[in-house]
Amino acid sequence: MKLIVTRRVKPLRYGGVVIPLLSLIIGVVISQLILWAVGVPPELFYGTMAGSFIAPEMLRPFVLLTILGAALLVAFIGAVWNIGAEGQIIWGMIVAAYIGVFVAAHSIKVPLSELPKYESMPGAQVLDATYGVVSVVLWNPVLAGLVMILAAAAVGAVWAAISGALRAYLEIDEVASTLIMNYIAYYSLNQLATGPMRGLSVQAAQFGRTDALNDALRFPRLPIPGTTVTTVEVILAVIAFVGVWFMLKYTSFGLRLKILGSNPNALKAAGVDTRKYITLALTLSGLIAGTVGAALFAGDYFFLGKIDNIVSPPTQNMGYTAILVAWLAMLDIRAIPISAYIIAGLMQSGATLQANLGTMAGLSGMISGAAITYTLIGFVLLTFSVLRVLTEYRIRFVRGGPK
Amino acid sequence: MSEAQTKTSVFTQNPNSSNEVVLEAKNIVKRFPGVVALDHVSFNVRKGEILALLGENGAGKSTLVKILYGVYVPDEGEIAVEGRRVFITSPLEAIKLGISMVSQVPQIIGSLTVAENIILGLSKYGMISKISRVKEFIREESKRTGIEVDPDIEVWKLSYTQKQLVELLRSVILGAKVIMLDEAITFLPIQEKRRFYEFLRRFVGQGGSAILITHKIPEALEAADRITVLRRGKVVGTVDAKKTTLDQVRKMMFGERSSEITYERLPPSKPTEEVVVDVEDLWVLGAHGEYAVKGVTLEVRAGEVYGIAGVAGNGQLELIQSVIGLRKPVKGSVRVKLNSKPIDVSKVGIGKIRSIGVGYIPDEPLKFGVSMENNIEENLAMLPSITNGIIRWGRIKKLAESLIKDFDIKTPSSKTKVKLLSGGNLMKVLVSRELMVSKKLLVAYNPTRALDEVTAIMVRKRIKEKALNEKLAVLMASEDLDEVLQVSDKIAVMNSGKIVRVFNAQEAKREEIEKLMVM
Repeated sequence: MKLIVTRRVKPLRYGGVVIPLLSLIIGVVISQLILWAVGVPPELFYGTMAGSFIAPEMLRPFVLLTILGAALLVAFIGAVWNIGAEGQIIWGMIVAAYIGVFVAAHSIKVPLSELPKYESMPGAQVLDATYGVVSVVLWNPVLAGLVMILAAAAVGAVWAAISGALRAYLEIDEVASTLIMNYIAYYSLNQLATGPMRGLSVQAAQFGRTDALNDALRFPRLPIPGTTVTTVEVILAVIAFVGVWFMLKYTSFGLRLKILGSNPNALKAAGVDTRKYITLALTLSGLIAGTVGAALFAGDYFFLGKIDNIVSPPTQNMGYTAILVAWLAMLDIRAIPISAYIIAGLMQSGATLQANLGTMAGLSGMISGAAITYTLIGFVLLTFSVLRVLTEYRIRFVRGGPK
Repeated sequence: MSEAQTKTSVFTQNPNSSNEVVLEAKNIVKRFPGVVALDHVSFNVRKGEILALLGENGAGKSTLVKILYGVYVPDEGEIAVEGRRVFITSPLEAIKLGISMVSQVPQIIGSLTVAENIILGLSKYGMISKISRVKEFIREESKRTGIEVDPDIEVWKLSYTQKQLVELLRSVILGAKVIMLDEAITFLPIQEKRRFYEFLRRFVGQGGSAILITHKIPEALEAADRITVLRRGKVVGTVDAKKTTLDQVRKMMFGERSSEITYERLPPSKPTEEVVVDVEDLWVLGAHGEYAVKGVTLEVRAGEVYGIAGVAGNGQLELIQSVIGLRKPVKGSVRVKLNSKPIDVSKVGIGKIRSIGVGYIPDEPLKFGVSMENNIEENLAMLPSITNGIIRWGRIKKLAESLIKDFDIKTPSSKTKVKLLSGGNLMKVLVSRELMVSKKLLVAYNPTRALDEVTAIMVRKRIKEKALNEKLAVLMASEDLDEVLQVSDKIAVMNSGKIVRVFNAQEAKREEIEKLMVM
């Protein structure tokens, strides 16, 4: 008997589903063993894990990661590496805030005596009773929401297109430029929020932030108890998912994008301007990512505040986490929701586990939620990479060894 | 291995050519999704002989070689080296067993020198040698073969021929018992080919063996001792090269289709007065910053096949690339007239003319012609002249199926990734697609490279028919003089970046052209 290892000609059947699922199971078990070693009881671990994957709280990260996963996939499939979703989201937030707080509504300062008049006025909202700051809605909320999203998309696209054009026409590596531009976006937000966009209310003056978005313009939440996800986000996710799927399967643009990733030379010889495609790939990727900025502003934060700690921006680093989503999906759009679900579930597990440990005597503050989350995600992805390589091979036994 | 052995390796062994079998394959079966690539194939190579493995496109030659070199593992069957059963699961193991391969694409590192490349190979396989010894060996062999190779030159500066010699020398130094040449010298000009034949002759004279994988019968007849013919994954038979004839081998290779083979000049087409391609005083730089095209002027009319003959590397490639708009000229202009208004390709680039129906068959089809990771349908749909906007896959599928039928492309389906097709079938996908999209003009470089005789002649006939019936203008450069002679209405000879002479096909004499090519 002799053992022979050979490379598969055809990929493993159902590999797209089996490999991520197996990675999830093995990765979770390894993480559990490690957390057990530092004192996390197994029953608490598995209890929390099981609960987290069906918790309504994970719905929102799941939806947002689906949008962002689809956004990054558009670039990655053309071998254009968009590490700049963070910056694209931030600019989406800035522009949505501008429209929401300065254009579709605006804040005015009124004499304190007139405040009661505004309290009963439809479309007006008292933001600050001590200073007499009132927000007045000027636009129809549906129109305002639409414009916020479209403007966020446009500015996200432009922000990404800068890196795209640099890569396409000047051959400046887009990994570096998109990453660096994230920080430019963070600090731009700080400059704007504490400067020209600073609000009138007492909190705005004190903390360096914009006034809050008028209640009438906030995106309505999905009527599921426990979740903060908005209807707009769900619609955006469906549009992004179906749109990208359709584009890749049924349009020549999508097909050429895929070929850009595997053989740009053939594309050039076919008469396609690859530089245009590189720029477009990043632009489209930034466009989708930008909409998440509007969703975060009008669905979650409602104001733009100075980022005090640059490692925890209001994006919750989802622009980076989405890289893992796209990768775990093996750049297959159909697998994006599945992998977004897995990553969102793991994020939720980390957060819940930390909270649960806190309620147990003596375990509070032992380990941070983020540490647990990234232990989990790390081991799942590690297992995934190992399995992916291993499944490219096949092991066979052959009778009769060398004489 | 000692230094002395490294230096001459196999060349010092006893020259005892015999019937001793050095490598044997027994009942090899290899299946790929949807096809049986090899169906109980058996053959052997004897010590001291050159064996030609001959077959048409998709006959299974490359699969067989990849199995012997450990790239694929057979589904059934056995391989034996010097009578001992072996399992070759990687190229590393093949080399340890004394089997080495030189492929069509040189596998050496461009930024290293020749000597460094060879030393690198040695250390990888656990052999140590002094660099001075290696250099001496290279110089000696370079002198013997008449192919000049300086051991201290970086590989990227070498020509294709020189690179292939380096690959062969590396095989010899690695102590190869069997060297397999997978179409490695098929595309060289005949004079250089002969130098390699001599080299192989010396190698086998000193106890080595060589397998020459080719689809060119004359090559097999000239260079080999025995010829094993493969057809559709089966061995048709093995013949003695000295006792067989071209016709007999052709029949083995193609069966009844061998009667379609002809090298007669195809009937002339009837060009109109309309000039489709107008190249004026064109100067183009080559890959290393030197002028590759030096002031070429030419005109191609509608309905005319304009063939450019020349030894590879005389500027034909750069000329073709700048006519299609992939390479910007330094001076001069290329105007293509498709409708009423001429388009200045040197200014607008490739996109414009390709999208309105100019076909292009590029050199290096794997790199520029098709996308390996995509299937046949996707390789059609990628062209802007076939789809734009929404892809109607139903229409593309029909197109693909008609091309598959028309050109007899051997594939399990139109949704098969092209990387799973054999080299010839892959080329057929490219050629059939480009002929289909050629409305007014086809620009081609070696349009039938990697195609077997029957298919190559079929393709040439199709090109000619389109020129005759649809008034297609064709600008074609080919390293295969037979091809240029067979299909062209006008023949330009290119040498050192210049067109040295243009013949009307009727007046063209082979000997004269050959002289102009190498002068």
